Amino acid sequence: MLVNDKSLFSILTHSPGTAIGVALVSLHLLNAIFAPLLIPYGPTQLVGTPILPPGHPDFLLGTDVIGRDYVSRLMMGGRTSITVAMIGVLGAVLIGTFFAVSTAYIGGLYDDVVMRIVDTKLSIPGILFVALFVVGFGRSATVLTVVIGLSYFPGAVRTIRAQTLTQVPLAYVKAARLRGESALSIIFRELTPNVIEVVVVEFAIRTSSAILIVSALSFLGLGIAPPTPDWGLMVSEGVGQIYAAPWLILLPAFFISTLVVGLNFASDGLANALGLDAARGLHGG
Amino acid sequence: MALLDVRNLQVAYGDPSSDDRTMAVDDVSFTVDKGETLGIVGESGCGKSTVARALMAYCRTGGTIVGGEVLFDGRDILHFKDEQIRGLRGSRIAMVPQDPLTSLTYHMKVGPQVDEILRIHQELDAKAARLYTVKLFEGTNLPAPEKIYDRYPHENSGGQRQRVVIAGALACEPDLLILDEPTTALDTTTEMQVLKLVKELRDRLGTALVYITHDLTLTDYMCENILVMRAGKIVERGKASSIFSAPQSDYGKMLVSAIPRVDADIAETSPPANQSTEAPLLTVDRLSFRYRQRWSVGALFNPKKEPLVADDVSFDIRRGQTLGLVGESGSGKSTIANVIAGLLAPTSGTVTFDGDAIGMIDKHRSAELRRRIQIIFQDPLSSLNPRRRIETILTRPQEIFFGIRGSVARDRAVELLEDVELSADLLKRFPRQLSGGQQQRVAIARAFAAKPDLILCDEITSALDVSVQAHVLNVLKGIQSKTGAACLFISHDLGVVKQVADETVVLMKGKVVESGATVTVFEKPSHDYTRLLLAAASRREDYADVSNSVETAGPQ
Repeated sequence: MLVNDKSLFSILTHSPGTAIGVALVSLHLLNAIFAPLLIPYGPTQLVGTPILPPGHPDFLLGTDVIGRDYVSRLMMGGRTSITVAMIGVLGAVLIGTFFAVSTAYIGGLYDDVVMRIVDTKLSIPGILFVALFVVGFGRSATVLTVVIGLSYFPGAVRTIRAQTLTQVPLAYVKAARLRGESALSIIFRELTPNVIEVVVVEFAIRTSSAILIVSALSFLGLGIAPPTPDWGLMVSEGVGQIYAAPWLILLPAFFISTLVVGLNFASDGLANALGLDAARGLHGG
Repeated sequence: MALLDVRNLQVAYGDPSSDDRTMAVDDVSFTVDKGETLGIVGESGCGKSTVARALMAYCRTGGTIVGGEVLFDGRDILHFKDEQIRGLRGSRIAMVPQDPLTSLTYHMKVGPQVDEILRIHQELDAKAARLYTVKLFEGTNLPAPEKIYDRYPHENSGGQRQRVVIAGALACEPDLLILDEPTTALDTTTEMQVLKLVKELRDRLGTALVYITHDLTLTDYMCENILVMRAGKIVERGKASSIFSAPQSDYGKMLVSAIPRVDADIAETSPPANQSTEAPLLTVDRLSFRYRQRWSVGALFNPKKEPLVADDVSFDIRRGQTLGLVGESGSGKSTIANVIAGLLAPTSGTVTFDGDAIGMIDKHRSAELRRRIQIIFQDPLSSLNPRRRIETILTRPQEIFFGIRGSVARDRAVELLEDVELSADLLKRFPRQLSGGQQQRVAIARAFAAKPDLILCDEITSALDVSVQAHVLNVLKGIQSKTGAACLFISHDLGVVKQVADETVVLMKGKVVESGATVTVFEKPSHDYTRLLLAAASRREDYADVSNSVETAGPQ
């Protein structure tokens, strides 16, 4: 049972928007998982004349500026950024949940210290933080994952802590305290299960924002390094041909936006189905 | 012709065309004449508030008025256009909802909120509206109306807020005033002040009232005619006095008999006095408590002393005895329970339990001590972890206190459920799947799972309906006499305390104003405040005289 006695299926098809979102995300995930088996050419292989337009008999969506098959690159182009975004955000949300629930429960100086650190991080512009971090530690998927995790950690702590604060004064927590449960037991056994909806929604919403960030970084040359196929990178490589071959930009942009829109629809629907109005309007946070 | 004529009203929740809709109101008909007061009584979920809203042609989200007519002055308002309805609401039909804090806007001063009504419906200018609002405030006995006008809702007490709402409701001198549980959020004494005011205003203005409540005794005080509702249907109707003294329907009889009465005789005599030679189980001696100022940088430079919540409180509880602790909200009752339970440390004074001083908070207490004192909280739903099945809720204390787990613990959980008259089927359920009364009985079972010597009951029935309350109290009495546990029973309801307590302590603003055997306190109260509470609880007309004398006397 996830929540409110609703089956997973009824949550995921809560409204037309949710269903569309879930469908888009599922398609993208399936594609990302099975792309290596499906693509016609290696994504880094030079296989044709540069900048062939879509509709070519050998290359369905044409070729890129140096003659790599565009279909193969598009299908492979989400794998790295999706992985980086998901693992980064998952780490942020999991570690964030612990800090959020524990600060809300323990309070006092510990709460103050953790929350002021969180405030400090939130006061640094996101993209600047990420850019500085990447410049300092180099471009690699690992560095990106860590920096995504660090970026989304403070927001996750704030949101989940706020939800936990509504639970802490409730009598079941007092009852647990009075029967001598340890603080860790109260944090993990009593409180965390009661904020799990927010954690799930937080993960879904932040992932979509993280994918945008990773794409933006790649576009700026701070993200995923060539020749790895990546949508953000592909947009940046195509910018020079914006008038001659606009599809070089439009196609990867379409892939990014369908994934992000799908995630937003799905997470909005999820939040609604779980009755978390408060979790809405968090995009880009 | 009646002012209001409701015919076969039907309101459904859920999709009105499908079969799984639920009828919140089913075939309800009644009339209200000018100047008449009609009471609608029923337990929570019986559809009485849905009826109230339908009288203004309004439904909560998810609800639809699917049938019937609401004739106001001969015209069916259910078929009015939106602007016609807006013209009626607030001007000819007004409503006072339950919670005055949520029915006033936080960000606006209370005066302008009433002005708004006058400016919309009476088209008064700002100055005239202000003058009239102040007059309305005077009319509702608000002290210093000019000052109240410029206060925000949170700066007023609950009773003052409700009077502001009533002033707003009466602003356009409506023909019909709907009161939807207007005093449920208020203390008994404040409740009586508000109801007296409503009665006076009704007599002065000739307004018709529809008075909705779960409290049958209040309708007896307020109304000429009563409807008793159950599950969306009217089960009984008639004169207030006759329903109260001789209800016809089974449900009406049950409701009337379930009311804890302050004027009822005490059925069981208190335990013999020879026990008083034995050392008490719990001694609270000169206990005081004040909250510490919340830690902040500002507080370091500007230290303030918070007021005393409990002030020099002393009492004893003997083994097996039940001590009632009575007082209005904010009188410090729960604080005292929390100190005894170990959730709070006393500021001064001592608490002795079975010969040992226990003035420390829970983490410094031994497991044995924690086991011996158990607390049951007011809101049964929030006191049970929503993510745990009843089985876990009942076996966890056994694991912690006795190291019992597995099938042994499970068998004992079934026994405990039987003790509180619940079936073993509930073990696999989640708290939310139980009714309020069942939840509270699970909470009682959980407390007794620890085999305690002292049980602290903090307003355990105030969130429950009257009939459920009676059952829960019986269950508590049963399990208490079976185990011989002593009980500190905290309540604002004197009728309930009279039913369960051997001795009673009356608290006023943190101080004990009276204590003694329950019989003595109820029959021969020595303090004016006790008399005031008793008068309010029995809805006596001489309440006002007592009230005045207490306001001048104050706590001693």
